[in-house]
Amino acid sequence: MVATKPRQGGVAAPGRLALQALSSAALALPAYAATPPPEPRVDYHAFRYREAPLPRRVSAGAQRGRFAVDGHKLAGSLPLGSSFALNADLTVETMSGASPWFITPGASGQPIQVMSGATIDDARQDLLLALTNYRRGHSLSGSLGVSEEDDYRALNLGFELGVEPQGKQYSYGFGLGYSADKLFPTDGGSAAYPDRISQADKRQWAAHAELTQVLTRQSVVRLGLVWQDKAGYLSDPYKRVFVQDSTVPDARPERRRVLAVLVNWRRYLQRAAAALHLDYRGTRDDWKVQTHSLEARWIQALGARWSLSSGLRYYTQSQAAFYAPYFAQLPVSGQVSSDYRLSPFGAMSLSAQLETRRGAWDLGLGLEHYDASAQLALGGVHVANPALLRYQLFNLRVGYRFE
Amino acid sequence: MHVFRAMGSPCQLQVYAADRTQSQAALSVAQAEIERLEAKYSLFRETSLLCRINRAAGGGAQRVDAETAGLLDFVAQAHRHSGGLFDPTAGVLREVWDFRLGRKPQPAAVTALLARIGWDRVRWQSPRLTLPAGMSLDFGGFVKEYAADAAAAQLRLAGFDQGLLNLGGDLAVLGPHPDGQPWQVGVRHPRRVQTAVAQVAMAQGALASSGDYERCFEEAGQRYCHILNPLTGWPVHGYAAVSVVAPQCLVAGVASTVAMLMAPDQARIWLEEAGLAFLCISAEGDLSGRLAPGPETR
Repeated sequence: MVATKPRQGGVAAPGRLALQALSSAALALPAYAATPPPEPRVDYHAFRYREAPLPRRVSAGAQRGRFAVDGHKLAGSLPLGSSFALNADLTVETMSGASPWFITPGASGQPIQVMSGATIDDARQDLLLALTNYRRGHSLSGSLGVSEEDDYRALNLGFELGVEPQGKQYSYGFGLGYSADKLFPTDGGSAAYPDRISQADKRQWAAHAELTQVLTRQSVVRLGLVWQDKAGYLSDPYKRVFVQDSTVPDARPERRRVLAVLVNWRRYLQRAAAALHLDYRGTRDDWKVQTHSLEARWIQALGARWSLSSGLRYYTQSQAAFYAPYFAQLPVSGQVSSDYRLSPFGAMSLSAQLETRRGAWDLGLGLEHYDASAQLALGGVHVANPALLRYQLFNLRVGYRFE
Repeated sequence: MHVFRAMGSPCQLQVYAADRTQSQAALSVAQAEIERLEAKYSLFRETSLLCRINRAAGGGAQRVDAETAGLLDFVAQAHRHSGGLFDPTAGVLREVWDFRLGRKPQPAAVTALLARIGWDRVRWQSPRLTLPAGMSLDFGGFVKEYAADAAAAQLRLAGFDQGLLNLGGDLAVLGPHPDGQPWQVGVRHPRRVQTAVAQVAMAQGALASSGDYERCFEEAGQRYCHILNPLTGWPVHGYAAVSVVAPQCLVAGVASTVAMLMAPDQARIWLEEAGLAFLCISAEGDLSGRLAPGPETR
């Protein structure tokens, strides 16, 4: 029927490949890249954090119950005109319980955690305000935050720039933050705690850069680099360290520089109506602490309105240069700490979050179980810190979007 | 519901708005964006950017704006991944194919035109385009779909995120009904215009259709429709109509056009592999694809 000689054509690419290529080419177009200010919304989060008591065989002291925190957070987002948005977060937390005080050698040299005698009761209020200017292709935001506890006050400032170049498969961003903190430890310099400091300062600069690259319509990778420079009093005023046969206050270097690398990979699985997130975060600092964290998260849509996300996270860290459960003698540097957070350990955490959307309402319910142990550490641990954490975190979220 | 005409087609906008003023505002937002794209890419307006680009064919490299560059990048991908079945340079075939008059061209005239067709002869290195002499670009195969997406994006920016925009059969969903229920969209029968052959529930995304129901004529019992194979210059005899659901109307539109140009079996496999929801209607009226109604609802 056709008298023409066909011109040479290529072979059509397999459907899946073709769709990915077309979708990512389409998504690069400006019509799909405009960044709208978020819709007005209010979110309420409540959370309940409970640390498990330490086992009897590794602890001493009147208290075995550890930290409990109950928190409430109200977050609001309000567009101002067509290109600005104001975000406000208010958090109120109440904390109570005992915390690890110092570690003493047991009868056979095994470390025994002594818990602080008094329980701490404290409350924290935190307010964060951020103003963002959205334009076609980029957003610029500035933030101001204040945080206050009985023994702590912090002020922080931040700037952030996000760029989504038109017609490109990537976006990038930069941020700069500064925070100034003041500590007024309870009972500092009192007769009961004569060598506890009564006041101290610390400051932190942080900078970050990130790049997000669309790989296909179904997958995205984000690379990030974070630099932190902390200076001032970085010790824990409530912790002590067993040296020889007495205890001295926790004493850490007055500066800590941390470099963190982040890699986040997201893949949307259309057939399964699910998404897979793989996240890695690694840090190293000049206290010689190296950390690696790897998380896999599966987010499954359950019908049109429900989703269930479940995640498994592995974490491992090496110890700080000046850490030991206890010391036979004071090092020349004078720097000592037996804080479990500076000890070598590994941890596994399991979490699940159920979310639903009903008209303008979002509801979420989540649970996380975290368990740290020396056996989980990469590379093995000679002596495990007795105060390694186990906790459970419950959270409830209710969100409302205004039309 | 607002009914209006744009890009030579009847259009509908359904949007949930607080009051009449708001819904009128939504209509203006959508119309302004569609009008902008029509003024930019229509071949029937001498002053359009696309006409200016075509007039400059044979005159060396031209620098194009970011939006046009994005569309050309998209075109390049679509051409490559369709094995050349999707080709924005095939518009010159209209010089010999006149579907309104219903006249079959001389085969030699069609063959002569093939020398002026082929995206692979165009030099495209974003943002520079070099169009050889005698060749021209025609965005008619996808600009309506792109306009549906672009107008939907503008509506969402303006805060209208519950509604449905229909540009002459190319649909973009702004968002579900306020109670979260999806829109029930009917796919029409290629020959019986008022009949819906399938219903699709859509809370988001887009639906585009290609069919031989638009400009066609019959000669000696053979149906010639306006969807021409750029490789041969002749109409295809595959499906009578193909509808595709995709996140973007632009992608749905290209997928449905390419599927129309393929042999039916090949088209069905291609769409299935792409993981897209689709409905193919054969010349005999048989339905296939994930959107085809099941036996219990037929």
